[in-house]
Amino acid sequence: MIARRDLAVRVAVRTDLSPTCFRIVVATLEPFAAVPGQFAMVACGEGLDPLLRRAYSIAGVARDGERTLVELMVKEVGRGTARLRRLPVGAEIKLLAPLGNGFTLGAGGGARLVLVAGGIGLPPVLFAAERLAEAGTPFDLFLGAATAAELLDVERAAAAATAAGGELVLATDDGSRGEAGFVTAALARRLDEGRRYERALACGPNPMLRALARLARERSLAAELSLEEPMGCGVGVCLGCVVELADGRLVPSCKEGPVFEASRLAARWSA
Amino acid sequence: MVGVSVRLETAVGALRLANPVMAASGTFGYGLDLADLCPPERLGAVVSKGLSPRPRSGNPMPRIVETAAGMINAIGLQNIGVEAFCRDALPELRVRGAVVAVNVFGARLEEYLEVIARCEREDGIAAYELNVSCPNVSAGGIEFGHDPALLEALTARCRAATRRPLWVKLSPNAPDLTATARAAVAGGADALTLINTVRALAIDAAARRPVLANGIGGLSGPAIKPVALRMVWEVHRALPEVPLVGIGGVETGRDAAEFLLAGASAVQVGTAIFREPAAPLRILGELERFCAEHGVADVRELIGGLQWR
Repeated sequence: MIARRDLAVRVAVRTDLSPTCFRIVVATLEPFAAVPGQFAMVACGEGLDPLLRRAYSIAGVARDGERTLVELMVKEVGRGTARLRRLPVGAEIKLLAPLGNGFTLGAGGGARLVLVAGGIGLPPVLFAAERLAEAGTPFDLFLGAATAAELLDVERAAAAATAAGGELVLATDDGSRGEAGFVTAALARRLDEGRRYERALACGPNPMLRALARLARERSLAAELSLEEPMGCGVGVCLGCVVELADGRLVPSCKEGPVFEASRLAARWSA
Repeated sequence: MVGVSVRLETAVGALRLANPVMAASGTFGYGLDLADLCPPERLGAVVSKGLSPRPRSGNPMPRIVETAAGMINAIGLQNIGVEAFCRDALPELRVRGAVVAVNVFGARLEEYLEVIARCEREDGIAAYELNVSCPNVSAGGIEFGHDPALLEALTARCRAATRRPLWVKLSPNAPDLTATARAAVAGGADALTLINTVRALAIDAAARRPVLANGIGGLSGPAIKPVALRMVWEVHRALPEVPLVGIGGVETGRDAAEFLLAGASAVQVGTAIFREPAAPLRILGELERFCAEHGVADVRELIGGLQWR
């Protein structure tokens, strides 16, 4: 695993993915690598306000000649993300990465994984999907969102799932695309039909992750959840993003996570 | 650099430091957590996260919230406990040659003494810094740092427990800052660190609730710098012989110079580390450049150099 570094990177691409979400691809000439599930702390520009960096899961890492491209997906929710959205191509920003652990990607002898993403939880799941497809590991991919407009990057997700010989299942809360209802309900229906998975890898809003943890417990499905606790520092020193584990310990999700086995989390996660 | 070499050595009382920039308690882990990004041995000193006799798990979430040019935290003094610090962090800090100050807190006077007693068995601790912004459960929950008599007694008991330099980190929330400063010195403090975080409240208007689970928290970052400068200056004027360590929103070398001018012998960098782990090294470089550009050959020339009109 490559050591974390605080890199000065340049915005190479910035495109809208939905009315609220956008993609930022940054370029660096420094050596860089990351595993799906790892994240970056991104400075939203110069100045003291907003003060803290924002944590974003890495959506992909690719070589482009001399450069390495690091892809992030961001939902505009406040001042920091609004500033990121307005950054012009070529702007320099600071990016501290790679941080945290990652998903367990391997699957034994033909076993299938299931990947589940909700809304802006897509980046680490998409990154995992593309890496698994490259490695020839089979998986099904479940993408959920509130509405069709908030289902991000469906074509790429479909391409990865198809390459892996798996199914892409879409679900929207309002039924405007794919199956109506929560993405975890769509997964539960497949499990009811007898589909079996070695492990689930998931990222999304906390209610989705709780539903998945509950499902995993009920169906004895191993699950790794990428949690999205708001982070202050991203490097384990501010202790602002702690997560309660089943043994009662409060651990910084930026350092011991952001990916946790569902069974390690405190009972309220799967209650 | 303009070809002038700047002497960066300073001292906090009898403790000599290679430079005046430290990492503040609670922002740099136990000294090694960010060593790959900011080697602790390159700083004037590193101050450990506040240590209690036994591990503490801290407050419920949410614990932090960003505010204008600052943040409010209510971590609740989560820490690994003094034993784990001495076992897991101190040996490598010694090997690296880092100057380590141990930040000490307790809910009772005896807990401060327990932490110090455990540390007295170890080499490689340069100083103790008492966090006196905790409620004293034996005295009805009043903060040690809010009652001069209580603070003097606490400091005196800690003073009797060690010959190492003893710093007291003052709370800006005390009713009378100079009275508490005098009390700490009367109790035997070698130096005063100021300021700790400023009590603050963030409100979620839509929910009509405090943002933090604890309700009240402590404000830090650039938002508090002018308050911290004023307090350092006031204490320096009241107690000009007492070494001070300035802290509160230091983000740049110029900020560090301002604290030195107000009377601090060294500065601590805190919240800046959260947004930039190597901030103390950058600030040190900027301070050196500031000195070079302003004809300051020795950084100690700045200490208390504010010319009050």
